Amino acid sequence: MDKLSSQRLPPLKRNWWLKHRFFKLYMLREATVLPLVFFTLCLLAGMVALLQGAESWQGWIAFMRSPIVFVLNLLALAASLFHAATFFVLFPRVMPLRIAGHSLPDNMIVAGQWAGVVAVALLFFWLLGRA
Amino acid sequence: MIKQAMSKPSGKQGAQHKQAFDEPLWWGLFSAGGVCFAVLLPAVILFIAILLPLGLLPADALSYERASTLLFSVPGLLFVGAVVCLPLFHAAHRMRHGLFDISVGNDALNKKLMYGGAALLSIVALGIVVAGFFS
Repeated sequence: MDKLSSQRLPPLKRNWWLKHRFFKLYMLREATVLPLVFFTLCLLAGMVALLQGAESWQGWIAFMRSPIVFVLNLLALAASLFHAATFFVLFPRVMPLRIAGHSLPDNMIVAGQWAGVVAVALLFFWLLGRA
Repeated sequence: MIKQAMSKPSGKQGAQHKQAFDEPLWWGLFSAGGVCFAVLLPAVILFIAILLPLGLLPADALSYERASTLLFSVPGLLFVGAVVCLPLFHAAHRMRHGLFDISVGNDALNKKLMYGGAALLSIVALGIVVAGFFS
């Protein structure tokens, strides 16, 4: 793109992405960070509460139980999984792996990354899930 | 997505094209944050924001004492870096480009606000861990 291209192309309208399914999915993928930011702010509030003391910590857990916060965090979980599904397929395209001269099939690289998600969940279960 | 005219040439003879020396840094943080968001965040959100409030974790799993011990430590610092800081830069990058896509604000300012916000919150988050570690 040369520096004059902006003068040749008509400026896009704000709703350009609503006209095609592909662009709607693109925008949905971009929007996965909004619930992520909400969860991150919740987590930061929890860290502050933990620093303040036991009473604040219990207060924070009660805050996390309130319906709107809980629903937005459910949305964040769904968004993280949707983001994962879109992000994992990029890996074999950006960095194709070759082992002993044979290129690793794309679906194996994607499956390997999902195995990573499961491994992290198991680590959390090991850390927090046992009575 | 090709971002043409992300940095618009200034003036009519915008011959002196400003070198975007910082862009590889933002894209690097974006992809590192993207990996953390995809691999770590599902489990983190599930356990901390779903199972904990529902009371489905064992009573002392994240009691005040246990949570403090876990967070205010060296592994806790790494946890915050991977679960808070990097994903924040990932989010900042996507929000900056998203705002450009729907033509909101101007990119030079959005860039400062988004990455600045991510940096500020990252420092706060890491600062909390360090403060908890020494208290």
